[in-house]
Amino acid sequence: MSMESTGGVSVEDPNPVRLRMVDAAIGFDPEQPLIEGLNLEVRAGEIVGLTGRSGIGKTTLLRTAAGLVKPLSGSVECCCTSTTRAEKGAIGLIPQRLGLVQHQTVGYNVLMGALTEASFLQTALSLPSKRMRDETREVIDEVGLADKTLESVNRLSGGQQRRVAIARAMLQEPDLLLADECLGELDAETARGIIELFRHMAEDHRMAILLVDHNPVRARTFCDRVLQLRGRRLIPFDEDEESKATLPLIEEVGS
Amino acid sequence: MSESRLASSLRLLARRPVLRAGVLIGIITLLITNHLQITLWKLVDGWSNLLVLGSEALPPDFSVLTERAGWTHPPCTFESDFLCSPAVVGMTQTIEIAFLATVFGMIISLPLAAMAASNLSPYWLSQTTRQILAAMRVLPSLIWALIFVIIVGIGPLAGVLAMTMYTVGYLGKLQYEALEGVSKEPLEVARAMGLPRWQVARFFAIPEASNALLSQMLFMFEYNVRHGSVIGLVGAGGIGWYMNHYLSPFQLYDKVLALIIVMFVVVVAIDQISLRVRRGFIDDVNELRRPRWRDILISRDPVKTDSN
Repeated sequence: MSMESTGGVSVEDPNPVRLRMVDAAIGFDPEQPLIEGLNLEVRAGEIVGLTGRSGIGKTTLLRTAAGLVKPLSGSVECCCTSTTRAEKGAIGLIPQRLGLVQHQTVGYNVLMGALTEASFLQTALSLPSKRMRDETREVIDEVGLADKTLESVNRLSGGQQRRVAIARAMLQEPDLLLADECLGELDAETARGIIELFRHMAEDHRMAILLVDHNPVRARTFCDRVLQLRGRRLIPFDEDEESKATLPLIEEVGS
Repeated sequence: MSESRLASSLRLLARRPVLRAGVLIGIITLLITNHLQITLWKLVDGWSNLLVLGSEALPPDFSVLTERAGWTHPPCTFESDFLCSPAVVGMTQTIEIAFLATVFGMIISLPLAAMAASNLSPYWLSQTTRQILAAMRVLPSLIWALIFVIIVGIGPLAGVLAMTMYTVGYLGKLQYEALEGVSKEPLEVARAMGLPRWQVARFFAIPEASNALLSQMLFMFEYNVRHGSVIGLVGAGGIGWYMNHYLSPFQLYDKVLALIIVMFVVVVAIDQISLRVRRGFIDDVNELRRPRWRDILISRDPVKTDSN
């Protein structure tokens, strides 16, 4: 779905810009924005990592990109329209606590990703098409939860719940996927599995992915670019000399 | 001498806020009983009336369970006398009225509750819907029953309509509070996806709150069975109607008492079953159940926090 919708916009560019923030100020109080002068571009097929200490505004940045919070100034666009009026299904969000519908099955939660392409009648009568159900089964299989399809999400482990949220996003196939602390406090093994899924989504589904990881060292191992928030500014993490100098400090804070 | 004693007791009053409040409440109570002309003598007079009532009502006449009533409305067609007795017909009607009212009430109140929930609807809509729900709650079901008996005539239809109105108002309030309590992350996911509001409510908020919603529906059914006996008194069907039948011309208190006992047993049974079933919805969830007065007064464990 994402391929067709962006294919029409720019045929030549294989990696069109999916998220563009220009001179944006972000936060809730115009007097005291959390982040100012924010310039950010995320392209299709690219994973951009976002780091920074707690409370600095990572989640708010993500929510602004998702169109849930309006920027205080500047522009935030997804595929050339403001994110607050983005095309249905263009933006996918995986919040820190995943936002799964509790007490519902894995299948139900993943199927929600297909809502964006369902017709009015299908949603009004809650009758997903056979294709939707097949695709749901496929993505659940892809994230390795095939035997849990009818299990309530409350009974899954933290890592499995993350897989459910990722499967939902895979079924939705947004142009831009925003993931907040998706690796959280997972063990290395489980985290690696999740990272593979993200790489798969970026490379094979050409999604633009902006994800928050409080651990910059880990983020550097799988992100195409890592940016960090420091003192109301968004700066590159590994290109900047200055940030390299403060790396030990950041690692200490981040771990 | 006496003045200083008065002064000292006034000073005591000034220093003790609880005592002050107690004296104030006492004075108001006296004034009100005086205003309503409530006197102890009435209670003493009443005692002799109670004895008369008791002698007429005791022992309860359980022929209401065995005698066929030819005057049921609608007419009873069963062979068995038991199934056509006033107690069984009346109680069945009450339960049926409560069931229909709960089902219709749920169907109407759920969309209204979604509109009234401030996390699902724009401010103007949620406030307007809340006012509508509040207006429906202003009148108790008995008054709604009076109104509908006038409109559609005596019979169970008036009861169903009356109870539906009250159910919508009451259940709607419980529901929008439950919907407002759901975690906001699933809703944000849905909003980021660009889904319309009704889909956010239908596929994210309502399923998330489904345990609470189902439990509230059962509670409402049980509540409606209890109130279904009252609305019969004004002609809206159910066991109350049969009670009234014995009361108004003949004053057959022994039969009325039997009906009351039947009703009591059935209501307690439904109450217990519904309590068990509702616990099933809440139990395997790690959530604190809001204590209610009836839980505190009746149940052994007022605040359930355990999980099986």
